[in-house]
Amino acid sequence: MLFTEVTPIAPMNAVALESVTKIFCQRALLTRCVREQVHALSNVSFELGAGEILGLLGPNGSGKSTTLKLVSPLLLPDSGRVTVAGFETRSAGQAVRRRVGFALASERSFFPRLTARENLEFFAALEDIPGNECRTRTEHALLEVGLADAAGKQVMKFSSGMHQRLAIARALLKRPQVLLLDEPSRSLDVAAATRLWDLMQELSQSGIAILLATHNFAEAAEVCDRVAILQKGSLLALSPCANQNERQLRDSYLHITQEPSLVPWNEEVPA
Amino acid sequence: MILTKITAVLRKDLLTAVRYRNGFVFNLISPALQLATFYYLARAVGPQFRPDGMSYLMFLIVGTGFYTFLIAGIHSFLHAIQEAQQTGTLEFLMTTSTPAPVLLFLSTLSSFAGGFVQFVLYVASGILLFATAVKVSLFGALLVIALSLVIAAAIGLFAAGLQLSIHKGSAVLWLLGSCAWLMAGTLFPVNALPRPLQLLSNWLPFTHSLTGMRLAIFDAGNQAALLHEIKFLAFFSCALFPAGIGFFAWTLRRARQYGRLAFY
Repeated sequence: MLFTEVTPIAPMNAVALESVTKIFCQRALLTRCVREQVHALSNVSFELGAGEILGLLGPNGSGKSTTLKLVSPLLLPDSGRVTVAGFETRSAGQAVRRRVGFALASERSFFPRLTARENLEFFAALEDIPGNECRTRTEHALLEVGLADAAGKQVMKFSSGMHQRLAIARALLKRPQVLLLDEPSRSLDVAAATRLWDLMQELSQSGIAILLATHNFAEAAEVCDRVAILQKGSLLALSPCANQNERQLRDSYLHITQEPSLVPWNEEVPA
Repeated sequence: MILTKITAVLRKDLLTAVRYRNGFVFNLISPALQLATFYYLARAVGPQFRPDGMSYLMFLIVGTGFYTFLIAGIHSFLHAIQEAQQTGTLEFLMTTSTPAPVLLFLSTLSSFAGGFVQFVLYVASGILLFATAVKVSLFGALLVIALSLVIAAAIGLFAAGLQLSIHKGSAVLWLLGSCAWLMAGTLFPVNALPRPLQLLSNWLPFTHSLTGMRLAIFDAGNQAALLHEIKFLAFFSCALFPAGIGFFAWTLRRARQYGRLAFY
């Protein structure tokens, strides 16, 4: 066997970020001196349990997508530790990738000349799923996101919403322990969004941990067990959102992001 | 499991190629046109010019055919990364359970397979159409191909790594390809070059690939010369392949660290 499984170091949480910092540097072409530093995440810590849905809220550039990429692990942290099911992303990337499904926000992440089914079968094969099982899981995933009728259509003819649903179907192919969703309801119509929320809740009930980056307060209020509010790479608040409706959640968010100095880290979101 | 992956990648590449219909047809026509060009070029040069003791037409066919096969193979590594960056699939591919170097090798399979078929057709057409005498060492030819492939893969890994780090791997490959085109004995024998360039050409792996291949097809009796070329190729393979793997792994890690995986 080419790659051996690494033993998990702390198998308690589905996802754990411990004092994670991520800085993007822009360097001068010749001298390689640092011209500009962007603190995408500063000392962020949180945990996500199996079957839990955690919403990441925050303005553009607050670090939501960076957080997802660190868990995926498309990015590696500059300091701190990210673990998935006890596997650290830096030292056991392969084990992490086997457990994480990622629905990217970008529309352009498929082969446009292939059909939805052909795309999914291709990506399923890369997930070490045997041939016959690839087809079964593809059909099942297409059905789950409501794309069974469009399975034979080339992806270049898809609308934004269909791309979005196909990305979610792709993330589900490997039956992940952790599902990362980057603005999944963007471009979805009301019916498709509602169907997606139902699906998220079904998945969480089956034990899948979901990390959801969103700007949609209705979505966060509807499906999330907890929300984390990020701003300029800092975690301003982390709180359960049970019994909060969309309006209450939005008010809390505005209060916290406009007056961040009033809320110490990880304090409960005021209802 | 690897067979499932190979099948999936080849199927994806074939479906994509067929659905770009015009490009597919042009790709089928262009080797025939190239073959005709070589024929008329060799006729213009005349039959008295016999580089390395063979007809100029076959010298051209083997030189250009094998050079094109290797360069296209190297380009396929770069192209795999570039295309994945431009279509936006790279980030997702890097989150799959298949390790990145395996993915990269899988992505180049159809290019290498297509290039190999084209090279065999080139040589076979040349031999059949122009009734050229051959003295083939099949084992020698296969060994030259295998070692040349390892070298091409190593250079391809460097190119892919450069694409990840400086996003302009194509510029470096263009330079390398031009040097090889000039000095590796593709269109004319190396001894036509000035002495300093001949010495430099000796350190280009392609020079030994092309000479080795010509010897294996047309002069199998000259085993000492063929063995000499194979030794050079084995040396380049052993030196370049681990370096290529190491360089690609290093650039990939840096791209993950600096968040530049999808930049192009």
